[in-house]
Amino acid sequence: MESQNAHPAAGYSSLKMQDAPASAVDGHSVTKRLQSELMQLMMSNVPGISAFPVSDSNLCQWTGTIAGPEGTPYEGLTYKISMTFPANYPYRAPVIRFVSPMWHPNVDMSGNICLDILKEKWSAIYNVQTILLSLQSLLGEPNNASPLNAQAADQWDNNKAEYKKSLMAHYKDIEELADE
Amino acid sequence: MKVTIDKWIGVSTWHWNHAQDEVCGICRVAFDGTCPTCKYPGDDCPLIIGECKHAFHMHCLLKWLTTESSKGLCPMCRRRFKTATE
Repeated sequence: MESQNAHPAAGYSSLKMQDAPASAVDGHSVTKRLQSELMQLMMSNVPGISAFPVSDSNLCQWTGTIAGPEGTPYEGLTYKISMTFPANYPYRAPVIRFVSPMWHPNVDMSGNICLDILKEKWSAIYNVQTILLSLQSLLGEPNNASPLNAQAADQWDNNKAEYKKSLMAHYKDIEELADE
Repeated sequence: MKVTIDKWIGVSTWHWNHAQDEVCGICRVAFDGTCPTCKYPGDDCPLIIGECKHAFHMHCLLKWLTTESSKGLCPMCRRRFKTATE
């Protein structure tokens, strides 16, 4: 590696070249941030939520689980979600979807979620852990003013027994879900 | 006994004078480190502190403010981000 010491300016310009493509730099910072989040998640071990990259090769695709909060119709049930991080995360929100079939006023039949912090209220300081905890609390506190699933919203407001019945009819145990 | 000093090497450490949080909330790297795009900490990658007292790596915050979703607000408290003048 003698060439490195040949001329200070030569080394400097090669550094600059590495920095030049913005996309490469962005990709690098996404990876760095997701690695730090993964580390934090594994160390803190928050009960009721978990998340992990799907494969070693792609850190931008995660899968997670959310346990239904106690005292809600979801108590004792566990839901699987998928998280896809854009190249400019955390400046843009990840795309989160329920993989488990979900009966909830703010989740549609394809698992798409309507939650303000994942859309117009997104902030760069949110992370996997805060998202999962927000989703967990959304389960027990739906926003029925703007439902994606109007029938679920109606049942939640007017007939909790019927709500629980629909929920259980749709629910699939996490073990039964085909691996994505 | 007489001692003659031929040569000495000074060593110093530094850190940003902002103890509120240890890491930048946007990139989650220590304040005393750099934002993900910088190589050298310190003056090349300074902190920025808002009137709301929230601090970030300057580069991280400026990048956030250029996004449409930021609406010019502090990522922590959603108040309009204005650099503190002290």
